Amino acid sequence: MARPVPAKLVRLMNTDTQYLHEVAASDYEHGWVADLVSDTIPKGLDEDVIRLIASKKRDPDWMLENRLRAFRYWKSLEAADQRPDWAHLTIPDIDFQSISYYSAPGNKPKYESLDEVDPEVLATFERLGIPLQEQKLLAGVAVDAVIDSVSVATSFKDELAEHGIIFCSFSEAVEKHPALVRKYMGSVVPYTDNFYAALNTAVFSDGSFCYIPPGVRCPMELSTYFRINEAGTGQFERTLIVADKGSYVSYLEGCTAPMRDDNQLHAAVVEIIAHEDAEVKYSTIQNWYPGDQAGTGGVFNFVTKRGICQGDRAKISWTQLETGSSITWKYPSVILKGDDTKGEFYSVAFTKAKQQADTGTKMLHLGRNTASTIISKGISAGRSNNSYRGLVRINKNADNARNFSQCDSMLLGDRCGAHTFPYLETSNPTAQVEHEATTSKVGEDQIFYCKQRGISEQDAIKLIVSGFCQEILAQLPMEFAVEARKLLAIELEGSVG
Amino acid sequence: MARGTRQDDVEARFIEAHHRLFGPGLNGEPGFLHNLRQKAIGRFGSMGFPSKKDEAWKYTSLRGILRTPLAVAPDCTAPPPSVRAIHGLDAHIGVFVNGRLHAGLSVLASLPAGVTIAGLGDAPPALVAAHLARQADFRGHAFVALNTAFLSDGAFVHVPDGTVLDKPVHLIHVISGRAPTLAQPRTLVIAGTGAQVNLIDTISADLAAPSLVNSVTEVFVAAGARVARFEVQDPAAHVSLVTALSAYQLQDSHFQNNSFTFGGQVVRNNIAMLPDAAGCETLLHGLFIARGRAHVDNHTLVDHAKPDCYSAENYRGILDDRATGVFNGKVLVRQDAQRINAYQSNKSIVLSNTARMFAKPELEIYADDVKCSHGATTGQLDAEALFYLRARGLTMPQARTLMLQAFARDIVDKVPIEPLRSVLDERIAAILAR
Amino acid sequence: MTPILQINSLKASVNGMPILKGVDLTVNTGELHAIMGPNGSGKSTLAAVLAGREDYEVDAGSILYQGADLLEMEVDERAREGLFLAFQYPVELPGVSMMNFLKTAVNSVREHRGLRPLGAAALLRLAREKAALIHLDSRLKKRSVNEGFSGGEKKRNEIFQLAMLEPRLAILDETDSGLDIDALRNVADGVNGLRTNDRAFVVITHYQRLLDYIIPDFVHVMYDGCIVMSGGKELALELEARGYDWISENGVPA
Repeated sequence: MARPVPAKLVRLMNTDTQYLHEVAASDYEHGWVADLVSDTIPKGLDEDVIRLIASKKRDPDWMLENRLRAFRYWKSLEAADQRPDWAHLTIPDIDFQSISYYSAPGNKPKYESLDEVDPEVLATFERLGIPLQEQKLLAGVAVDAVIDSVSVATSFKDELAEHGIIFCSFSEAVEKHPALVRKYMGSVVPYTDNFYAALNTAVFSDGSFCYIPPGVRCPMELSTYFRINEAGTGQFERTLIVADKGSYVSYLEGCTAPMRDDNQLHAAVVEIIAHEDAEVKYSTIQNWYPGDQAGTGGVFNFVTKRGICQGDRAKISWTQLETGSSITWKYPSVILKGDDTKGEFYSVAFTKAKQQADTGTKMLHLGRNTASTIISKGISAGRSNNSYRGLVRINKNADNARNFSQCDSMLLGDRCGAHTFPYLETSNPTAQVEHEATTSKVGEDQIFYCKQRGISEQDAIKLIVSGFCQEILAQLPMEFAVEARKLLAIELEGSVG
Repeated sequence: MARGTRQDDVEARFIEAHHRLFGPGLNGEPGFLHNLRQKAIGRFGSMGFPSKKDEAWKYTSLRGILRTPLAVAPDCTAPPPSVRAIHGLDAHIGVFVNGRLHAGLSVLASLPAGVTIAGLGDAPPALVAAHLARQADFRGHAFVALNTAFLSDGAFVHVPDGTVLDKPVHLIHVISGRAPTLAQPRTLVIAGTGAQVNLIDTISADLAAPSLVNSVTEVFVAAGARVARFEVQDPAAHVSLVTALSAYQLQDSHFQNNSFTFGGQVVRNNIAMLPDAAGCETLLHGLFIARGRAHVDNHTLVDHAKPDCYSAENYRGILDDRATGVFNGKVLVRQDAQRINAYQSNKSIVLSNTARMFAKPELEIYADDVKCSHGATTGQLDAEALFYLRARGLTMPQARTLMLQAFARDIVDKVPIEPLRSVLDERIAAILAR
Repeated sequence: MTPILQINSLKASVNGMPILKGVDLTVNTGELHAIMGPNGSGKSTLAAVLAGREDYEVDAGSILYQGADLLEMEVDERAREGLFLAFQYPVELPGVSMMNFLKTAVNSVREHRGLRPLGAAALLRLAREKAALIHLDSRLKKRSVNEGFSGGEKKRNEIFQLAMLEPRLAILDETDSGLDIDALRNVADGVNGLRTNDRAFVVITHYQRLLDYIIPDFVHVMYDGCIVMSGGKELALELEARGYDWISENGVPA
């Protein structure tokens, strides 16, 4: 299936969405900054906090009930000390009572102009090729750029609406499309799925919602930028994508966070439903603040991403470039329920300094003639640890299921770790499961060859590592791929030589 | 670890049995062994048996057999059953009946001077003290702790420095019991500097009731020594088997283990290799054929702690009926263990839609100048090849058997002892023809 | 005539085993020297030492390159100073596109020479021009460096890079090995097209065959780590006629 030409890129600024809406709805000339500054609820988590979040979000009753059910379940896990501990990660004891679970966006550091922003942050944005207006937004500069972005988003919104596509914030979807949200929310990732999914369901603040009607190929890439705001707050967004029969959508997700000394918690949930003949391509560039060289600060990234190929011949493809976060715990998965469905996972995970990543996928083959492909490239530098963890399960009735997995790890330095933990569970005699993994360092002969052509050792390593990731980056939509390459080059710069 | 009362009962039975057999007030034991047993039972008590919540036991449960009240370490008073040597094999044979060397059944006449095959009780105490319970970690593994807690005798093999044994050593553990039994064979092998030995390890069990065999084998491979071990596991379908094999290797040594599993109810092999010096070579080969309701689980760990070593692992499995296979192979390369070359391959063939295979090949790497890889495949016989054979006039069952034999042969061919290879070929042919 | 390369009494070893046992060689700009010799005579070791491979230990002697001490220079510095080695076994760089690789290399060299970096369009134009010179299949430029190339394609790619990087001294290490006659002609055409008055070549080969197409100014014969015979192009023909045994039987200096 040919990809649509990404002629336009729609960017919905999340968690700034609500911020944008407030700005758009209010008469922004009236000193709104002061109002927003005070809108962070006190730290701590109990049923009252859940009710407070719900009231701030103007949740309908069913949503509040949903939050409370999830919260009670989460509390029972917390009480029984059932935080997931199986990953190859050293996770500090997170005090869930010391986090503020609601912070109105806009409550981020305010600067009068870009001159006040850390030049290093700006330099990074510059190299990433993020447009100036977005730079300002990401850096937390309170300027009209925000309004511009709203108009950008809304102008495309009209075009999307012509195709019957719904693309809006999660809050807006709850308000305007409650039937769709009720039908699909939690259908792929129920709140009982895991500790962090339960927490997210209880406290999520916003996120995005996307519905592509039957037979519609979304004419542009849909994009969401997430960022974490205030110190001491958590970020809990939800994304729900429903691709109806025969539809197609390519969805991009970018993440950044400002530098902070303390750790911030990010626990998101992404659910994708692909009906008969539908195809969803989900691409992520995760660049949350990774902490400094000493491992201070950085985002704890605990994310549950899962899609279901509900109808026959549906296809879900995950592509990710993970360079940020001090801890990444993330396994974008596909439930291959319909017959002849396909699941793909393409990943580059780069860790440096004291970052830890345990990431991979789950491919659950339920239908007949289902196929999954996993290609994972891990690069470890500094004192980081980088693990691939992936499950391929071929159920009893999944006749003629096929899986191919290739997991390659590269080590840059002798104080880091690269690990591979695949789980291959086969319960059907007609299944064909193949897994290969390699771990090595950059080839000496390759470096020598490059150097003989006048290329410095640093540049040689950058070339070779980028080549190592090329297969994955090629899966990203055009604009994102450019951004991804630049990001990777920046990350490598500080880690080699 | 949170454990239910029921599980605690299971452990309590063994702790009580230990108290009865080895409790305070019993004299006549060497202090070393007594202390070891006390430490081991203590560890066993605090660890308890693993459950499916333990990552390493995710796919394998021994609850069934452990819930059965098992008679611990019975003394074999009945006359030993007939012991089958390998046809056509000229070997030094040590027969151990319930852990004790049976001189009458053993064939040790031509053993070269300096080489010892004996019961642990008759072995040089200094060697035993230096190596026993040093290789197999009873502190971290409940089944090793249980074996160690009841340790009173076992097989001992010592090949001194520079000695090359032309003939293989065949250790036969004879186990018998009428009631449900827990048998716990123990083996200690010491190969001195530059020594060479081929070791065949088999169990000859006559167990009338559902039973558990929990064996521990420790191998010390000194610098430049070469040890190749061949283990054939073929217990009855009502007998479960848990084994631990731990090998410790010094500079430029070679250790090779070949395990063949054809029978048993639940079989769990825990293999831990520690090449603890540069220049070591470690090879692990395994073949299992699981049918009926058999559950065969191979767990291997190659712990590369030192640089410039090579390890290769090759496991194959054939699963039919309602059988379950597990392969969990881990290659660990520790920091500064540079220039490690480690390779691992696991291939399985699933023949029925009620059989299952769980493969978990793992790499955990902390050094950068390494070449490590693993590959795992699960699938069926190549349809094209089957068609080719049938086009040459073979029936479907003939073609299938032929191809399965070829699949198994890759592992069998690694056995350099011809009479053993013939026995394996025959056994495999017989199983596959069924 | 300016000497570009002066090798004096060079001795080198690998893993403690002496390979080069006193090599003397002077190459002037504009010259093409062929070094012939049987397997194991030290030809490729000489190329490796010149390029700066780390596992080759220089035990004695000196190498002056454009008047400077070559042995003091890093591998990439030598390359940027215009020393090019066409590898006997070109290395594959999976995922690294030819154009990205060339861009990095060409601009590293240009920067060193104080030239402005070439933009994508200019580089592409240059690549097209040079590729035509050595009959390189233009599709190869779209692939990853040497990945999945045939033996002949790899060797032609080496000459293509030579053309792109415009070195002062090019060393061809058995570039003819494994080539069929057509590929050999292509490679030779490429080299001949690149011969200029300010560039020198050292062509290392086992067979005389290549020298039918690339006419050398000088031929040297290496044997057991030393250059034992030097002469004009006719020496190659004599070697071809008599075989390397001729050297071991005659005139090997002690």
